[in-house]
Order: sequence, then C-alpha cells, then structure tokens
Amino acid sequence: MDLSRRGFLAGSAGAATLLGLSACTSVHSNSGTTDATVKASGSTGAKSSLGPQTGQLTFAFWGGSTGETAGFNYVKQKFEAANPGAKITLKVVPYDGFFAGIDRGIQAGNAPDIFRVDYTTMGKYSSAGALMDLTQYFSSSDIDAFLPALWDAIKYQNIPFGVPHQTDCTAIVYDKDAFASAGITSVPDSLANAWSWDEFSQVATKLRSALPASKFPFAYDWTKAGAYRWLSFLYQAGGSLLTPDLKKSALPSAAGTKALDFTKSFFTNKWVPASNTIKGAKYSDEFFLGKTVPMTFIGDFLVPEIADPKSGYKGNWGVTFMPKDTAAATDLGGNAIVANKATKNPDLAAAFLKFIVSEDSMKYFCEQAIELPTLKSLASSSLSYATAPDAVKVFAQQATTLSQTITTETSVPAFSKINTLLQDQLELAFNGQATAKTLQAIADGVNTSIGS
Amino acid sequence: MSSSPSLVTELPAEALQGSAGLRPRRRRAVTSRGHGPTAGAFLLPNLVLVAVFLLLPLVWAFWLSMQKIGSLGPSQFLGINNYVDIIRDSVFWEALWNTALFTLLTVPVGMAVGLGMAILLNGVLPGRKLIRSIIFLPLVISGVSSGLIGAWMFDQYSGFVNNFLHALGINGPDWQSNGKWAMVSLVLVTLWIRVGFDMIIYLAGLQGVDPEYHDAAMVDGASAWQRFRAITLPLLGPSTFFLLIMNLIYSFQVFDTVYAMTNGGPNYSTTTLVTYAYKVGFDEHGSGELGYAAAIGVVIYLITLVITALNWRLSRNRDLAS
Repeated sequence: MDLSRRGFLAGSAGAATLLGLSACTSVHSNSGTTDATVKASGSTGAKSSLGPQTGQLTFAFWGGSTGETAGFNYVKQKFEAANPGAKITLKVVPYDGFFAGIDRGIQAGNAPDIFRVDYTTMGKYSSAGALMDLTQYFSSSDIDAFLPALWDAIKYQNIPFGVPHQTDCTAIVYDKDAFASAGITSVPDSLANAWSWDEFSQVATKLRSALPASKFPFAYDWTKAGAYRWLSFLYQAGGSLLTPDLKKSALPSAAGTKALDFTKSFFTNKWVPASNTIKGAKYSDEFFLGKTVPMTFIGDFLVPEIADPKSGYKGNWGVTFMPKDTAAATDLGGNAIVANKATKNPDLAAAFLKFIVSEDSMKYFCEQAIELPTLKSLASSSLSYATAPDAVKVFAQQATTLSQTITTETSVPAFSKINTLLQDQLELAFNGQATAKTLQAIADGVNTSIGS
Repeated sequence: MSSSPSLVTELPAEALQGSAGLRPRRRRAVTSRGHGPTAGAFLLPNLVLVAVFLLLPLVWAFWLSMQKIGSLGPSQFLGINNYVDIIRDSVFWEALWNTALFTLLTVPVGMAVGLGMAILLNGVLPGRKLIRSIIFLPLVISGVSSGLIGAWMFDQYSGFVNNFLHALGINGPDWQSNGKWAMVSLVLVTLWIRVGFDMIIYLAGLQGVDPEYHDAAMVDGASAWQRFRAITLPLLGPSTFFLLIMNLIYSFQVFDTVYAMTNGGPNYSTTTLVTYAYKVGFDEHGSGELGYAAAIGVVIYLITLVITALNWRLSRNRDLAS
C-alpha cells in the first residue's frame, strides 16, 4: 500500500480524534470523586498494648525549624532506646516538593513508612486508601487523651488514619509603640474580651490616621495556600463553608456576605497593603518584619522568627487575640503523623506513632518547636517554651476557639481543591469582584469539588 | 561592492527540486555496506535517549491529556473532555493572551537591546570583557533566584525601584497590585535576564562578519547606518533566526520568573500558560488535575510547534531568495 507521509499523519490525527470522541464521557477533570467506603481493619484498641518492637522504619518530614528537628531526633533516640532492635531513619526533605515526592513514592511502592502531613491535606491520602488504619492500635482511653477536634481531624469515615501531632493557629502580633503613638491604649488580654469586629475596625481606623500612606494598619496571613484562613472570618460571623453533612456548600449565606464584605473593606479602607492579596509575593510576617505594618496576623510557628534577636522584629512587640463577631474562631494549622499502608512493619509503625504522641515526646517537641500540643493533659498544663513563652500562651488560648465544624470542614478529602478555589475567588474579590458573584462561584466550585 | 555568489544559486536547478537528486545511488550502497553498522552503533545511544526522554514523554503527555488523573489513585479515560474544557475555560484564554503579550514585549526588545550591546562591545571598549560578564551574569543565576531578586526590587512599598524613584521625587507605580504594572515588571526582569544571551550570540555572529566587506563599503562611501543595514544585519541572519526561535520558545514557556515574582497575580493578569498548567496539575496544595494540566501542556507544545514551523519556513524562503 502506497501511503504518503501527509496521508499517514492526517489518518492518525483523524483516528485519534474519533477515538477521543467515541470515548467522551460526562466526567471532567474537576468533577468530584465518589470516595470508596472504608471499613475498619479490626476492633478498636485490639492491639493497643504493643510490646517492644524490632525492625526498621523510614520517617520523612519537611525541614522545619531547628526546634522541630531537635524534637524529632529526641523521639527517635528515645524510641530506639525503648525498643532494642528497632531503627528509625529520619529523612528531612524540603517543604517544596515534599508531597509530590510522597505521591511518587506511593505510586512506585517506595514511599517512606511514616510521614508528616498537614490536616488540610490529610483527607487526600486517607480517601485514596494510602494510609494505615490505626483502629486496632488506639483504645477508647487512648483516643480520649486527645483534644476531640484534633482527633476528628485525622479521621476519615470515622476511622483514624494517623495521629494528631501538634497544632498551630493564627493570632495577632503588634508593635506596642506604634499602638501607643496611634492612641490605642487598650489591647485584649484574654479571649473573653477579644476585640469585636467593630472594635477592631476602630483600631484599624486609628492606625490608618496615624500612619503615612506607604504604611498600613495590618496584614493578614491568607497568602497562597493560606487562603483557607479567610474562613476564620466566615466562622466568626456565624457561618460555615459546608452543610452539616459535609455534602454541599453552605454558601451563599448572610454570614458569608458579611465576612466577605468585611474582608474586602480591608483593601478599600487601605487597612492592608494592596499587595497583601492571595497571590501576593509577600507573607504577612514579612510585612511586619519590614515595618510596612505595625500589626499582623500570623501562626505561632512564626513566633521564633519574630523573636529572633538578630533577624527578628526590631521593636517592642506583643501578642493578642483574633477579633470575634458572633463567635470567636481561628484556623486549623498543624500536622498529623501517618503511616504508609504499604509499610512492611505495621506494628512497629503503630508503636512509633503512639510513641511520638506520648506525653513526654509531645511536650519536648512542642516546647522546642513553639507549637501547640494535641493531648488534653498538655493543653491544660503550662509548657516551658524555649522562646517567648508569654506569646505562646495567647496562641494556646486562641487554639481553644477551634470548633469541630472548623476541624471537620478543613479536613474533608476535597479540601485541597477547595483551597485552590478560595485562592482564585478571594483574589478576584479583593480586586473588586462583587461579593454575590464571588460567593456563588465559591459555592459552585465547592459543590463540584465534593461531587454534589 | 561585490558580493559572493551563494551556494544555492550555483547549484543546478534539478538539485533544488528535491532531495533525491543529492543522493547518488552508488554512494548510498557503499555507505550502507561499509559504514552502516558502525554508524548505527554511534547513532543508537542517541536514538535511545531521544526515544526514552523525548518521544515517550511526548506520547505519554498526549495519553495523559485524555484522562482524569491525580497524583494518587486510578485514572479515568475522558476522551477529548479536557480539550473541550480548555476551550470553555476563560482563565486559559486569559493566560494565552498574557503569554502572547509577554512574548511580544520580550522577544523583539530583548533582541534589539542584545544586538545594540553586542555592537558596542564588539569594538574597542575599555573593560569590555568585564562588562560582557556582568551583562551575561543574570542568565547563569537560577530563574527562581532572579525572580526573587525581581520581587524584592519591584516591591511596591519597600523595593529598590520605588525607593529610587521616590528619591527622585517620583511616586513609583503599584508594581504588584496593578496588573499592567505587574506585567511590566515581569518584562523588565526577563529582559535583564535574557539580554546577556542575545548579546553573546550576536557577538559571536559579529565576529564572523568579514571586515573586508565593511572596508569595501567605506571605500564606496557608505555611512555607518548603511553598512549596518546592508552588511551587518543580513550577515547576522542565522544568529537572528536562532535567537528568534530560542526566545520565542523561552518566552512562551516562561515559568520560574512569574512563579517567584507575581505568582500569576494580581487576579490572573500575569498568569501564563505554563504557570497555569503548573497550578492546575502540580501545585502541592492545588487541585491536582494532572490530565487537564497535560492537555494545557499539549496545547503549548502545538502552539510552539506552529510558531517554529512558521519561522523555519519563512527563514528558508528568505535564504532561497537571497
């Protein structure tokens, strides 16, 4: 058969098109997935009392602060001493690319046995069946030891797929001298008398009047993947992102309109720098460190950076609480530790996970890393934080405003997609898109993402 | 002024009709009998590399673009749904427009500035080796680092550029919160990075221009501009063609500078096709739609292919016409 090159190419293209068309389905890349129903692998706590274990495990985490690394090294050494014949290899990986590496490892069958994952990404792994079910390893009393909201954050379809290792949340850091210059003499010293939105607005207005045009009252930590922290205002206004059964978006709502209008006013009133939008290149702590703002919303994990004697904030700074409206609320930060379902040493992995959230291990880690514990016993006691202990106390109190609604909504499997949607829509809203249009677009996107 | 007759005009007309006339049968037989296995052995490693690292990923990308696939779990065949979605996706069209605008603003200006610098540095200039190195330096720094430097320089509140303008009594623009100025800052940083490359290629081209042509033209009374227009520029044709292709591809696939400087914002005003594909497919806290990202990648590939083919055809016609 005499086939010309042109003929061959045209035929191939046509065949490919026909093949594509013939297989066309109603499913699209952004459609939600129907997650498989999972069943617990055994009865609750059947293996809760594990004896000494032997074998090898690899534990991967992203390189955080010096304090975090010291905390993980402490746990490794203590665990190996308590379990002769057990060896834990720590793998410190840069944050950028961490989860891409984990995903490739899971697909290729060589992922680490244990790894760290933030609560907002947790659902992606548990819903994909990539994590070890810990039902058998935690008895009811073991579970009761944790703050309920944080234990809920590691569950998927009521099955625990990891351990809540630590948490962090957002509060306000401010310059005491700048406040005094603006005539702000009173700053909330307890959660009960946190600023209302009106009071917060008055503070921002006073600061605006006292500052030159090139400086702004405050910055908010919603940059890039932090977009979900906008939800704190929605919860403060008494709203929620999803319906109670987590099947649909609860937006548009009156609370949503109120929260979005309030946050949009940050830009129109010039309370925040115009570049403090979602896609801005600078994070909220950088605006504060560079003295573009005298007040900023940040997570407690940034306290060591602010307190650093050399590169930290040059000035007299203090910490106070997030403002509140009909409710007080903050965001769910922090990380869980999970085991790969394909690990060859499940009992050893479970024993290590239990050890890492034991009281002594968690206390040491949180004190070094300036992060908040997830055990009730530690949350109610006073930890000896290595840096700025008084500042951390405010964050610890703020963390009690983390409701079950916030926890469950933030850890749904589709949350990564929802966060992307929030990034795009909030950026548009802060640059002028109408509130109603934004909320409807978020609602539509959320419904598509969760497959309703 | 006399010009050298080109090879093309010396060839017999039948040789230009097609490649068959250039391949005597007897010679090919000798080649295949004598050197065929040796040539094959030399070619094989390259062919394997091309197949494994170029062709296979290309075909794979086409295959992925027809699926719904994330970084975990099973995939689902969607046919052409991803491409249908691209056509309906307003962000894709905005990203395409931004990419085209960015290309239009960076390629001609970068090449013109590079050529100007090459001409200046081709002459006897004190410290020209040092100046060349300084101009070339941004290219050897990683793109993300250059982008971060750019983000710092164009920070609208505390950056170098606006502080400098302020010292001159000028209120600097909103480089980050205004979409048009954000694009301008990207273009400026890209020019800063790329001009060194354009300059080096043009310098190499200039050093291949026989000074006798210029001497002859001067004897004939040609001005500096006439010599540049009639001698230098035409003889730099191959360099210009090479730079045009490389710069078009570079600009069309820009990623690291945008990612570090503006993250595609404000809104989508600096989102380019590659940053959009990355965000959709690979951003670790993104939607993880690898199939859709692959479809955008295929579209970028096809557009680049068309641009290159057009350039190649136009350039070939120009060579034949000369």
